[in-house]
Amino acid sequence: MRREQTLADRISGSALWRSVVRHGYPDTQRNQALIIASNVFLHIHPVKIKRYATKVTYTFCLGGLSFFMFLVLVMTGVLLMFYYVPSTDLAYQSMKDIEGSVTFGQLMRNMHRWAAQGMVIAVFLHMGRVFYTGSYKPPREFNWVIGVLLLVVTFLLSFTGYLLPWDQLAYWAVTVGANIGGATPIIGPQVSRVLLGDFQIGQNTLIRFYTLHVIFLPLVAAFLMAVHFWRIRKDGGISGPL
Amino acid sequence: MAELVHQPTDAPAQIDEKKKQKLLELVRGRAVARPTDLADDEVMVWPSLVVIEAVSATIFLAIMVFLSVMVNAPLLEMADPNKTPNPAKAPWYFLNLQEMLLHMDPALAGIIVPSVALIMIAAIPYIDRSPLGVGILGTSTKGRKIIWFTTVFTIVVETGLILLDEASGRTGFWLKTLFNDWGLPEWSSGMVMPTIVIGIFIAALVVAVKKIFNPTTRELIIALYTGFFVSYWFLAIIGTSFRGPGQDLILPWNLPLVHH
Repeated sequence: MRREQTLADRISGSALWRSVVRHGYPDTQRNQALIIASNVFLHIHPVKIKRYATKVTYTFCLGGLSFFMFLVLVMTGVLLMFYYVPSTDLAYQSMKDIEGSVTFGQLMRNMHRWAAQGMVIAVFLHMGRVFYTGSYKPPREFNWVIGVLLLVVTFLLSFTGYLLPWDQLAYWAVTVGANIGGATPIIGPQVSRVLLGDFQIGQNTLIRFYTLHVIFLPLVAAFLMAVHFWRIRKDGGISGPL
Repeated sequence: MAELVHQPTDAPAQIDEKKKQKLLELVRGRAVARPTDLADDEVMVWPSLVVIEAVSATIFLAIMVFLSVMVNAPLLEMADPNKTPNPAKAPWYFLNLQEMLLHMDPALAGIIVPSVALIMIAAIPYIDRSPLGVGILGTSTKGRKIIWFTTVFTIVVETGLILLDEASGRTGFWLKTLFNDWGLPEWSSGMVMPTIVIGIFIAALVVAVKKIFNPTTRELIIALYTGFFVSYWFLAIIGTSFRGPGQDLILPWNLPLVHH
């Protein structure tokens, strides 16, 4: 006996729907496999994994949270870019505008700030978890090195973003940081010049940090993350007891 | 292979009795594994993993939004190159470096120590290659004891060193003045002495762990990594919460409000 066609059946049976979604409802193993394999975002996952890999108290989701915070930072960061002006004359005023007159501007700025702090913490703790579970051991040596690079990029992302509000906190924190860079043995003055684009923090520094912060470093991070995630799969998924 | 090819055809093939096998049975079945074949220790990613990801992302986003609604990001008055705040502090995750800056040459504290630490961390998997202990937090009971031992050791040593150097007026335990009197160059007290002090305490940690725990390579690396991990957070906390005007030691509740 044929069941009467509901509206949902008609929609999911239509040519339009089937051109977009190439699998049925994921209540069979076949469809559960297809939903992962046929989706560009989900197919970063394998179709099936070891049971231990789903244990939250093993990973504490720290790697995933680092990535998730990166996504939050991209989202809120793009929204902030609509209003922020990277000029020493206008930057501070645009911060005030974001906080005072832009709808949800203060919320976006707060989320960007706290997610940035959170990402540094999450990445660092993620490294700790990976170390203490011995997950860097062969065949995962190279992915550990990629992870160390990602830690450095995370620091740089956070540090370059720190200058942008152009308030006293930003200016002097970056002064301290730049002085550390200038203390590099032998090539100290050169490092300082490359970092600041000038002899002291000014317009050149701001545009330098801004460009690094909104495009260059996020691209580097995305590139390294692509390698990082890819290698997890190629090295047999996340580590587990032998 | 070459031997096989050149075997003279007239010699009868010899059967090695030890290697002889017999066909037991033929089984009808599938030749290839299908993607949906699940072993006992496997689960489907949909739903078992994606559910965890979705739930943790949702919880975390909720926490993030709640925090952002409750606490505003700091924004002080506009940057003024002529008005140096006291204390001027780097972002908190670099305050461990700024803390070391107080006690040694800036090149050593800000560049050399962190670079060496990062390079050594990156090199860990090429030094410790044994697969033992993978997937077990702290490797073993001994490993977990070493973590605790190193944590206490690091905090005690660093607290002691900081207090001693503060007592000497940040003159490298009075050595800077002494070396100056002897006419030795600046780097002798800024670079050489701190390197020796750091080296001595790392060596002391290694010797202590070796004597007490008789560790494997992995367990010894656990001690060294824990030393780094704890130092990073401990010095960052000192720099963030215990350094007031003039970078003098201060209790957290006496800090200027800006740095809370």
